[in-house]
Amino acid sequence: MIVLDKASKYYDAQAALKNVSFSIKKGELAFVTGPSGAGKTTLFKLLYLAETPDDGTITIAGFNTSNLKEATIPFLRRNIGVVFQDFKLLNNKTVFDNIALTLRIRGIMERETKERVHSVLKLVNLRHKSDKYPATLSGGEQQRITLARAIVGEPTVMLADEPTGNLDAENEDNIMKIFKYINNKGTTILIATHNRSLFTNTGKRVFYLDEGTLAKEEIA
Amino acid sequence: MFSVKMALQSILREKWINFLTMATLGVLLFIFFAILLVLYNVERLTSKIPSKLSSLVVLKDDASKEEIAAVESEAKRSKLVKTVDFISKEAAMEDLKKVFKSDDFILKGFGENPLFNSFEIKFKSDEDVKTSDIKALISKLKTHRAVDDVEFGQAQMESLSALKHGVRTIGVTLSTTFACAVVFISYTTVKILFYRRKEEIEIYKLLGATRGFIRLPFFLEGAIVGFCGGLSGAVMLQVLNKITLSKLTAEIPLFAVVNIPFTVFLLFPVIGLMLGLGGAVLAVGRVRY
Repeated sequence: MIVLDKASKYYDAQAALKNVSFSIKKGELAFVTGPSGAGKTTLFKLLYLAETPDDGTITIAGFNTSNLKEATIPFLRRNIGVVFQDFKLLNNKTVFDNIALTLRIRGIMERETKERVHSVLKLVNLRHKSDKYPATLSGGEQQRITLARAIVGEPTVMLADEPTGNLDAENEDNIMKIFKYINNKGTTILIATHNRSLFTNTGKRVFYLDEGTLAKEEIA
Repeated sequence: MFSVKMALQSILREKWINFLTMATLGVLLFIFFAILLVLYNVERLTSKIPSKLSSLVVLKDDASKEEIAAVESEAKRSKLVKTVDFISKEAAMEDLKKVFKSDDFILKGFGENPLFNSFEIKFKSDEDVKTSDIKALISKLKTHRAVDDVEFGQAQMESLSALKHGVRTIGVTLSTTFACAVVFISYTTVKILFYRRKEEIEIYKLLGATRGFIRLPFFLEGAIVGFCGGLSGAVMLQVLNKITLSKLTAEIPLFAVVNIPFTVFLLFPVIGLMLGLGGAVLAVGRVRY
């Protein structure tokens, strides 16, 4: 589902990612970890097509991201659900509208949109907050809305960049339960985290990045 | 439908900047149309003047019937000419006698009729009738052996042509400037709104929004603001028409000739919409991923 082949990215001749190669199978849940500045965010930017690799190739769902036409990018992004550490929610829209945006962008009818949004709100246990604005919610709740927005489009690949970054243990646990639930339904998930407790003893593959290179790969 | 909702929400959210833009566009479109109306009225009034000007083709006494007929057919063939009337020297004398009435003894002193046979040529009132074309026709007529001389209001026609040309040049320059100003203001407003919503647009892109989905609300916003600006301009023109022009006509009867066609009021919002949309298209430009 995700294949990196000697992928590199440079900023002002400084390598943010250097010759990174790995692959993630369809339906797999894997983790990327490493210290700050290891290249996790750069890797994710390459995966959700905000950047293109300077060297090597990245293939997602059969598409080589270096050869994509600009007009194809939105359609590929619809297959990738992204959970951002800083949430990236629209503060002038309600919780419902933030989640519904994913479906409205695809031109899905309002009736179906309503049903699907309510269904994911139930999954993240925030149905009662549907009419609230993001700024009035806690960090944990905002992160669950971001997750709901990513899930509602039923993506084949889910990328989560530090999804539990600023959350307490209870919220962290809730978020991970949701990830496991959607992974069991067949979604391929890659989570970037520096929090070892998220993957310890999970039996999942973990990729260790250090100074832009893939230092090691192991089963947690 | 969602794009329309987003455009309307944005207009309401940024109501002050949009209201000021609409008012400014209204004033600019009002000036733009006022200039066009001046142009239209000058053209309308001056286009009737050439038909009131006529040329007199004086024929030689010894010209044969065939030669006179050749002159007549040459004049009638021209697209500029409306009518060609033959005035015999006898008819001319009769007309002169009517002018002198009781003083016709002056004419009797001449003995023999001193006047000439002639053609009176009247020109069409089309915009296309140019002084240079009339001059060319007269030169052609002068080459006929039967023609002694041709008289026409050259000086009047040249001044009229210069006036029309001057008004047209100033009008076109000013109206183009104001049309550009409308586009520029719409461009600036949409650009500001686009930058204010840059973060929102980035999120849209990440969620898989196409270029069309991102740009359409801005295009609609530009078009709606332009349309409303046009409507306010039409209201201003109506006020000018009903209040100012009525008062001016009462004071100075010359203003009675000023005509504002109803179509202009319909054109206001349409032109406003088009210019507003044009500005928005330029402002949003190409959305890059």
